[in-house]
Amino acid sequence: MAGTDPIHQFVIYDIAKLFTIGGDGTEGSGMTFAFTNSALFMVVSVVVTTAFLLLAGRNQKLVPDRLQLAGELSYSFIANMLRSSAGTEGMKFFPFVFSMFAFVLVGNMLGMFPYFFTYTSHIIVTFGLAMTVILVVTIYGFAKHGLKFFKLFAPSGVPAYVLPIVIPIEIVSFLSRPISLSVRLFGNVLAGHITLKVFTGFVVSLGALGALGWLGALLPMIMAVAITALEVLVSAVQAYVFAVLTSMYLNDAVHPSH
Amino acid sequence: MAKPQDTNGRPESARGVTHDLASRIASAKRDRDIEDNRASRQASPEMSGMARGMRIGTEFIAAILVGAIFGYLIDLGLGTSPWGLLIMLLVGFAAGILNVTRVVAQMNAASPAPSGSDSGPDVTDDTDK
Repeated sequence: MAGTDPIHQFVIYDIAKLFTIGGDGTEGSGMTFAFTNSALFMVVSVVVTTAFLLLAGRNQKLVPDRLQLAGELSYSFIANMLRSSAGTEGMKFFPFVFSMFAFVLVGNMLGMFPYFFTYTSHIIVTFGLAMTVILVVTIYGFAKHGLKFFKLFAPSGVPAYVLPIVIPIEIVSFLSRPISLSVRLFGNVLAGHITLKVFTGFVVSLGALGALGWLGALLPMIMAVAITALEVLVSAVQAYVFAVLTSMYLNDAVHPSH
Repeated sequence: MAKPQDTNGRPESARGVTHDLASRIASAKRDRDIEDNRASRQASPEMSGMARGMRIGTEFIAAILVGAIFGYLIDLGLGTSPWGLLIMLLVGFAAGILNVTRVVAQMNAASPAPSGSDSGPDVTDDTDK
């Protein structure tokens, strides 16, 4: 049953091959870079976000129209969140946090359209985003505070004789951040899309059984509608959580001593 | 709710118009803040139980995984198998607990218990009058 295969929606295929690095020229050797369906939806997401913000800021009025209001609300939403968790100094990261939030949110929301590809359902994408966050935190922290950034691993007020135990724990805790950040987003999106596909698959298979099947198919149909609504909520919440955690980690870079 | 252009009792001067508009905006904002606060108490994004559970679960598991991988790499490098894996697995477990307590403390700070709730037998609260 190819039509109801719940994993099939995550298949990545090449739209256009770009170039190959290395290899001996034969088919399948070396590293081939291609423009995939995943890349296509990333481009779509960036275009949608940029177009929305450009249109929202096109003619600025003191009393905003709907589009301008939507743009202003999305600005103040992220700005307030960043200011409350990383302080005023954290506001220099606003473009970064807003881009992350918009990229994840629009990616999740695009994935809710039938036949659209969800790039946040691939762990390498979310892990790449999470590693970007952690690298920004680490590099900025060392550039701003130098070796004092290591204070992050030694909380103040801890007696010296427990430090040999506390420091490895803190280091592992710090290293676990990109994993938990990426696995959470990836897991939610992947699980949601598979569940949705499985339930709608039930509708199709039960519907093939005739009149009684149609009655039975009503139950997974109701579930599928409910899960679709839930998935829209999960998409928004996970983008929000990603942005909140990004700003909290940035807070560590701005103020390393807890 | 007043219509945007209500002509009844419109003040004459331009200053009066602005003042009238400002006070109407202020009162509308107050109304919306009250409404928003009530709505966000009932269902703020972080209140979603599923999101909360996923958050705590991944924080815990990620730390254990990182600890185990770290220990395995130490073993590979130093040839101390299996001690690096064992010790770092325990350290990862501790880091997981630390992550979870941090997340929960932060969630509690974000949404304090409503007034009048019982905090337990040994804590003085509103129910112990």
